[in-house]
Amino acid sequence: MATASEERRKAFEREALPHLDAVYRVALRLSGGEAQADDLTQETMLKAYRSWHQYKTGTNVRAWLLTILRHTFINQYRKAKRAGPTVDIGEIESYSIFHDVQEVDPEGAFFKQIVDDEVLRAIDSLPDEFRETLVLSDIEQLSYAEIAEITGVPVGTVKSRLFRARQALQKLLYDYAVEMGYIQEVKK
Amino acid sequence: MSTPEPIDCHEAAERLYEYLDGELTPQMEASVREHLKACAPCFGLSEFEKSFLSFLHARTRARQAPEHLKKRIFEQVLFDRGSPENE
Repeated sequence: MATASEERRKAFEREALPHLDAVYRVALRLSGGEAQADDLTQETMLKAYRSWHQYKTGTNVRAWLLTILRHTFINQYRKAKRAGPTVDIGEIESYSIFHDVQEVDPEGAFFKQIVDDEVLRAIDSLPDEFRETLVLSDIEQLSYAEIAEITGVPVGTVKSRLFRARQALQKLLYDYAVEMGYIQEVKK
Repeated sequence: MSTPEPIDCHEAAERLYEYLDGELTPQMEASVREHLKACAPCFGLSEFEKSFLSFLHARTRARQAPEHLKKRIFEQVLFDRGSPENE
């Protein structure tokens, strides 16, 4: 007969482990470094395993894991200084880059010339609350309600953070593309 | 079905991300869709934003947890015999 700990292990393997990649991807963007992401992921999974009895079968296990991840990050990692610079999102105008480029590149083909690492670097330079919202939405494709649950803010706040984070990211990537000569700067 | 409530360009732009994310009520979704059909500049903006979001997703999604981490979690979390069973 299976013991209680074997049952737990099986249930955890079946339900939680398939979300390991998602936990790792979010850990990577929150912590900003591979070694830290490894530790943060492991710690999250360990906490989740130990409190598995608190997880309600049939509810959203991915959101539950990401909530644990976020708490772990805030309590233990956020104090450590992040490697890269953080942009001041208040300095970035909230409007679509489309309005600047529609005459020369209405489909935004210039984005496709930007290498992956540069895209990730731009995401990493967003302030914490904007970065986590964008990562949960645009990398992990969670719903606004799930993001609100994980980050502990109202859906309206998720909406406005996502709006500003996306527009800031567009601006950062556009500036980079101009610098690299992928697109000519359009003078306003 | 009743005709959707008409909205202006400003509102369409404000609702655009919610529209593309599938987060609007059916009524508001219909209003945005009708506006985009009728308004070329807003349609252009919508196509641009749609391709930006799919670009973003495609470029960031590939990462997976490395093998050494999977192994570590399997060994240290699932078979962590030193850890108390009931906390």
